[in-house]
Amino acid sequence: MESLKVYILVANRVYTDGIRSGLGLAVENHYAYPVIMNGEFPRMSEYMAENIAWIADMEGAVFSCGVDAPTDLPEGTEITNISLEELGEKMREADFIIPYGMPKQSHEPPGACSE
Amino acid sequence: MKILQVYRSEPTDDVKKLVEILNRDRVADEFKLYSDQPNYDTLVQKIFANDKTVCWW
Amino acid sequence: MAADPNKLGIFVTCPQNMRHILGLTKAAVRAGKKVMIFFTHKSVHLTKSPEFSELSQLCAVEDIAICADSYICEGYDNVTDVPRGLTDKQMRTQAFHGAILDQCAKYIVM
Repeated sequence: MESLKVYILVANRVYTDGIRSGLGLAVENHYAYPVIMNGEFPRMSEYMAENIAWIADMEGAVFSCGVDAPTDLPEGTEITNISLEELGEKMREADFIIPYGMPKQSHEPPGACSE
Repeated sequence: MKILQVYRSEPTDDVKKLVEILNRDRVADEFKLYSDQPNYDTLVQKIFANDKTVCWW
Repeated sequence: MAADPNKLGIFVTCPQNMRHILGLTKAAVRAGKKVMIFFTHKSVHLTKSPEFSELSQLCAVEDIAICADSYICEGYDNVTDVPRGLTDKQMRTQAFHGAILDQCAKYIVM
């Protein structure tokens, strides 16, 4: 079975599940590249940190586009910064491009969303 | 390479930039799903006529 | 397995496109194509809409599935509350998405 290059674009804070979905493809022997757009980073739980590390172990990568990745990530968890132009060029080689979930919200979420 | 860009909403500047790069030197087509009455038969024809489809948010 | 040139894969990641999913699937079936669909994350709420049962009639039983983990994460019971139109065997993992990429020559995200 051919290994496919799959980019998963996450533009909305509610849809960081795209990273888990990427890991699901990585374990199926595909190359998964979740991309966090414009700073919509996930809450860095142990589960999320493990997922990001596993994607890298499976020869994929998690990118951040538009905002620099946090510098205080857990050990073994890497998020690579990438410009919009670089992302576009890399995605020209993609087999699949998945804009995941919904687009970015135009306002900051209210406090109720933090629970 | 023939590529189809499908939009579920009006594309943002970031999406327009990515599409410009993806479409470069390729035969590109588009379909706007956010129109009032999208013609799904046309969309199916386009999907099967192109090598790749990207459906933006 | 080589991808089927007459098969369309739909990967559903968003809970607000049922009109498009149903419209697209009906059009594909009219055109003599087969459709394979996977609902994941928040999109599993679409399995509670009246259109879901109709959608499931348009696909082979084994070609429509939802992510069981997502379903449970959203608060549903994956044993006692299997969506109408789905069999319990079609409560699957993300591997079903991998199968769509392998089996379908054409693919769209909703």
